[in-house]
Amino acid sequence: MIDRQDVMRMARLARLELSEEEIELYQRDLNSFLVSGRKLQQVDVSKVEGTSHAVAVIGELRPDVVGESLPQEAVLGAGPQVFNGFFKVPRIVEGQE
Amino acid sequence: MKYDIVIGLEIHVALLTESKFLCSCATAFGAPPNTQCCPVCLGLPGALPLVNEQAVEYAVRAGLALNCEINHFSRFDRKNYFYPDLPKAYQITQDVFPICTNGYLEYYIDDVLRRTTITRLHLEEEAGKLVHSSGSIVDSEYSLVDYNRAGIPLIEIVTAPDITSPRQARLFLEQLRLLMLYMGVSDTKMEEGSLRCDANISLKPAGSTVLGTKVEIKNLNSFRALERALEYEAARQSRVLEQGGEIKQESRTWDERSGRTLSMRSKGDAPDYRIFPEPDLPPLRLEPDWVFRIRETLPERPLERLHRLEESYGLSRYESTFLVNYADFCQVFLELAEEGEDNTDLANLLMGDYARLAREQGHLEPQRLAGLLQILQEGLITHNQGKAVLEELFKSPLSAREIVKEKGWEVLKDPAQLKGVVQQVLTANSELVERYRGGEEKLWGFFVGQVMRTVQGKADPQMVNELLKGELTQKS
Ligand SMILES: [Zn+2]
Repeated sequence: MIDRQDVMRMARLARLELSEEEIELYQRDLNSFLVSGRKLQQVDVSKVEGTSHAVAVIGELRPDVVGESLPQEAVLGAGPQVFNGFFKVPRIVEGQE
Repeated sequence: MKYDIVIGLEIHVALLTESKFLCSCATAFGAPPNTQCCPVCLGLPGALPLVNEQAVEYAVRAGLALNCEINHFSRFDRKNYFYPDLPKAYQITQDVFPICTNGYLEYYIDDVLRRTTITRLHLEEEAGKLVHSSGSIVDSEYSLVDYNRAGIPLIEIVTAPDITSPRQARLFLEQLRLLMLYMGVSDTKMEEGSLRCDANISLKPAGSTVLGTKVEIKNLNSFRALERALEYEAARQSRVLEQGGEIKQESRTWDERSGRTLSMRSKGDAPDYRIFPEPDLPPLRLEPDWVFRIRETLPERPLERLHRLEESYGLSRYESTFLVNYADFCQVFLELAEEGEDNTDLANLLMGDYARLAREQGHLEPQRLAGLLQILQEGLITHNQGKAVLEELFKSPLSAREIVKEKGWEVLKDPAQLKGVVQQVLTANSELVERYRGGEEKLWGFFVGQVMRTVQGKADPQMVNELLKGELTQKS
């Protein structure tokens, strides 16, 4: 069972701000996923190889050739704070002995 | 109590591709910040990554050089976390199925060959570069981010925890760096961050098989920093254990200025990466033929070259090590050396005055250096004059033989001519000759010096000694 704490933790990890109603909504939804999941667990898959991708594509590789990048203004346009061509971010960690 | 030190290393090596791992942005170092970025490496919605073939080849080459098994099936995974140097909020890496596994690296510690197990080697993307306002991550009010580096292909190499001293860790890393350089997969510049090392270190009671709690040390950007940080950390842990304390499992950062490791207390939650198979990239399948071709064309490894120089060129470990460490000098050496012969003179010339001059002014045409060796062997000039000719070779377009001729530096080879000089010197100093014959033997050096001065150093010292001996004993 997914409880209220689980939902809040997942929201925190994904940087989502949820209202009280949304927390209840997602707790209900996620639990119904688990119910469907339990049904799938009854299927015998002992002879099936694990799947990580929906389609079995062979990885296509790209030759090592340099192409166009975006102009600096376009790149920096996505940041709330910039300084001298850099993105500016607040303090990251605190040190101690 | 005495403790055993247990060290494992994680090394990140930036690969020398022209374009990034999953997009075609340039990887060149030193461009203005945030000018080598595109929707793929910034993680903008809808962008589709494609794997750079050269990066895969380099990873395989590095894996083969490290005696790894090359996995014909490997897979990319998405590692999710928020950190300012990660524009996508996830890193594409290889978690469960890395491209290479189970290898080893051999290297010398004081003439004893040691082997460290390589647990795995996998491909992943580089993060952006953070510049901290105060110069250190621990006390900066803010940081600046440049995403030019984000998405450059990396290999992460993980060792087993079988390194037992800080010095061994440094020697291992030095050999690994050299290997990557020889394989041509990276420029391995620690100062530019293209080779980085994190170290895990724990202590256990001497002889015990139970591992202690490990601490991870980050920010080790030189060989010296690695060794010093591990020494500091081993001493710190030992002190904590002696006082009955417990080691906390944590990440610490090396602070070069204070020479200490400092705990990194993260402001966020404990990491939960929620790793899952990367949906935008299919698994990587390598053709056995393709891997075979890379294996066949693998360049010579540094250790193989070391043994070749010792066995086929008659060099000592010391000389061979110099040449292996400085591949450009080795290239000059191999061009001029005779296989199956003793090439000590050539090696010593390269390591001595030549090294100093070549580092300042670049290498000479090997053939010009060969000309100098030739006239030294012929005895056309003395060893001391050889140094002067070498200096001239770096300044003048003339050959060694032409320089000697132009400067009039040929050794006086005619014994009769030299004998005249010797006699002249002795006559001019007859009083001292008497004193020498009376037992003041230390005057010998004075006579030699006078003769050499008269001929401006252009005499074979051995011949001078013989002639002097003849003259001084004859008439007594
Ligand atoms: Zn890009």
